[in-house]
Amino acid sequence: MIKINNLTKSFTSKTGKGFKKETVTVNAVNNVSFECKPGRIFSLLGPNGAGKTTTLRMIAGLIKPTSGNAIVDSVDISNGNDEVKKRIGFLTGSTGLYERLNPDETLDFCGKLYRLPETALKERKEYLFEKLGINEFRKKRLGQMSTGMKQKVSIARTLLHDPEVLIFDEPTSGLDVITADSIIDLIRESKANNKTVIFSSHIMSEVDLLCDDLAIISKGNIIFNDSFEQFKKEMKADSLTQEFINRVKEA
Amino acid sequence: MRDLFIIVKKEFTELLRDKKTIINSIVLPTLLIPILMFGGIKVTQMIQESNKQKIVKIGLVNAPEDFVQMVENDTLNKVTDYTKVQDFKTLISNDSIQTAVVFPKDWKTRMDSLTSAEVQVFRNGTKDNVNGRVSTLLEAYSSQLKEKRITQLQIPVEKMTPLVQKNVEVGEQKELIGKRIGGFIPYIFILTMWGGCLLAAIDLVTGEKERKTIETTLSLPVSKFSVLMGKAIVASLLGFIPALLNLTGLIIGLNFIEDIPETFKVALTEMLNPQSIVMILLLLIPFSLFLSGLIISLVAGATSFKEAQSKAAPIIILIIIPLVMALMPGIEFTWATVFIPVLNIGLGVKEIMAGTVNIGMYAAMLVSLIAFAMLAIYFSYKKFSDESAILT
Repeated sequence: MIKINNLTKSFTSKTGKGFKKETVTVNAVNNVSFECKPGRIFSLLGPNGAGKTTTLRMIAGLIKPTSGNAIVDSVDISNGNDEVKKRIGFLTGSTGLYERLNPDETLDFCGKLYRLPETALKERKEYLFEKLGINEFRKKRLGQMSTGMKQKVSIARTLLHDPEVLIFDEPTSGLDVITADSIIDLIRESKANNKTVIFSSHIMSEVDLLCDDLAIISKGNIIFNDSFEQFKKEMKADSLTQEFINRVKEA
Repeated sequence: MRDLFIIVKKEFTELLRDKKTIINSIVLPTLLIPILMFGGIKVTQMIQESNKQKIVKIGLVNAPEDFVQMVENDTLNKVTDYTKVQDFKTLISNDSIQTAVVFPKDWKTRMDSLTSAEVQVFRNGTKDNVNGRVSTLLEAYSSQLKEKRITQLQIPVEKMTPLVQKNVEVGEQKELIGKRIGGFIPYIFILTMWGGCLLAAIDLVTGEKERKTIETTLSLPVSKFSVLMGKAIVASLLGFIPALLNLTGLIIGLNFIEDIPETFKVALTEMLNPQSIVMILLLLIPFSLFLSGLIISLVAGATSFKEAQSKAAPIIILIIIPLVMALMPGIEFTWATVFIPVLNIGLGVKEIMAGTVNIGMYAAMLVSLIAFAMLAIYFSYKKFSDESAILT
């Protein structure tokens, strides 16, 4: 379960020429509130620069919110990032893999930092390697692998500690259809296992396929937050994509 | 501490699997000093040998018979006898001759009357080999004439030598050589350390950003400080190891390279005793941490390897200037210089190698280096914690 209350993130930057500098503060995320329930897939949609990644990074404890709070699996993110991180599996387009390590070493490194007992780590690793078909290339360096192979290892890394909350930020971006399909399967399986799943994407067909609850974010503000069923009921346009575009433009 | 160890192990494994790191941080530093020593000695020997074999074209004017004989005795001298002074500047510049020795017309009279005479040498100051050979000839001839006169005047040799200089060396050979070359050794250490730290720090911070693994690392339940410290420790190790290998290379070179002058070899071996080595290495530990902290704070905001290099590379000037100052005469290891980073290492290592280091000052230098290392780590942590700098 994830409960977000008035989450805000401001970034300050300095602009200007020579000695004349101006400090500009921009709210990348502005008073965002929503709730994600276990056993349901929550989609966070928004155009580029809307604040999706910033919101997800705050939930995952990668960056600190300026104000507001978030409760992730009963842990307040302001009480310490590490406890939150132990409960989250974070897979995004920008979570790369250590190219000079092999899958075995990568999972050992992550597992040790998740403080998994040695036997549990070994068992979980073997289970995931078997399930995802990683065994045949488990000793190969990640830098020498295809995108599909890497994605399988990324999935194994995300699920290694069996987290209650899974965050997928544009996980299929840049992937071929076969690899993208494996991610879709993983998201469905997580839902079946009663995990809390947040999924952010630009691909409306994927949203249509997976989504239970939906929030649309534009310019840092939530402009829609309800069930996907309700979104479909309120639709005025012919397609999901057009409806999404219209709502963002109107906001 | 456990997390830090896990991070260090992972970063170290990753770096040591990079060929670039292996070559720059292990292979080159180990071979650098032996190659420099061996190559330097061999090149000097080859130049000396080749100079000895070179023919010198000498022009002579009014030269006495015994001097001509002396010059011609060396078959490598090609003599051209001139009856009068020519335009030697042109002759030398068009390489007809390389030097000309002009004796006065009344040379014999002057010699017979036991007076002195001026011998003009036309030469090009840049031709060291030619000028050296002619000077040697003239000195030998002058000594020969002097001996003749002493015999002729029947003066006992001791009467002609009122002063005999005898140096009684109170400084040890170790101190003499230590002060002369002691400044050169940290020059090599520090530059290889800088290279090692720079490469590692950029790979571990900017490289992680480029490879998109920084977000993966930060999504793990480990504090940013542990991540930063892990990177700083590995970067400093990759700076410290080359310095250690430099020292090893120097010791190997001393033991296996022939043709090193014996006095030099003995003095260097004496200087590089276990105590000196431990004292030098103790200084290099906080210094390498200082360098890696400094580099990380500079490159933390860079988004590409190229940008990181352009941000960090100019700092080399701040390293080279104090090192050059440490080599200059007159700049000593004092309470004023003991707290200036880089300069203090340059001067301190010189004193350690000469065996004249003041322990109080050495301790102060070590403490100051630790303080600088902590400061650099603090700044790098501040930069590393900057969310907009790291996650862009």
